[in-house]
Amino acid sequence: MNKTQKSAIYCLFVLSLGIMIYIYLFIMKSVPGKPSSTFWMVMYFLVTAAPFIFLRKKQSPNEPDADERDDLIKKRAVVCSFVSIWILLAITSIAPRFIVGSEASIPAWALPLINLPILLIAMGIYSIAVLVQYGRGDKDGEK
Amino acid sequence: MAKSEFTNSVRRLRFENDEMSQQGLAEKAGCTRQTIIAIEQGKYNPSLALAFKIARAFGQKIEDVFQYNEDSNR
Repeated sequence: MNKTQKSAIYCLFVLSLGIMIYIYLFIMKSVPGKPSSTFWMVMYFLVTAAPFIFLRKKQSPNEPDADERDDLIKKRAVVCSFVSIWILLAITSIAPRFIVGSEASIPAWALPLINLPILLIAMGIYSIAVLVQYGRGDKDGEK
Repeated sequence: MAKSEFTNSVRRLRFENDEMSQQGLAEKAGCTRQTIIAIEQGKYNPSLALAFKIARAFGQKIEDVFQYNEDSNR
């Protein structure tokens, strides 16, 4: 597994873990005696920082960080991610009109909750696009 | 319109050269092992520069390693 694949897997891992912790904190916010949000944020940082060692390790000392094929794959993944941002922005711009009505208003605190996940989703789509292009490999990949 | 197709003899040449590993060829050509795998499987056509590096790793001419077959469908 080369560095580009590892980075994509790491990105998906960080996103998934962040979503799970966020959902857990949201559900458990009114439960007494649970560890504080600060505790979970520190744990999240430690757990996501540890795999950096995994990212730095190369298949071979002479292996380049990225070759021409890796750059092509990353370029296509960026295009995928960019298109997804457009689609998601269009949806989040149009959907509220049908959900709350054309004359209604949305509180300011809701805007980050609506827009920031677009960036996170775009990161996830980028990572998935990278991994899909690399494929699952086959027995030749073991040599 | 003529239909073109690229083929290569990378895998055969690798075995003919003391059973060179994909990793070994990747190091000589300055690319990753995954790129060598994709080239051998015909899933990726290397750039001119990489094609020359791979040919030189085998001590061969580029046209002996990579072939361009123009298949005309008329």
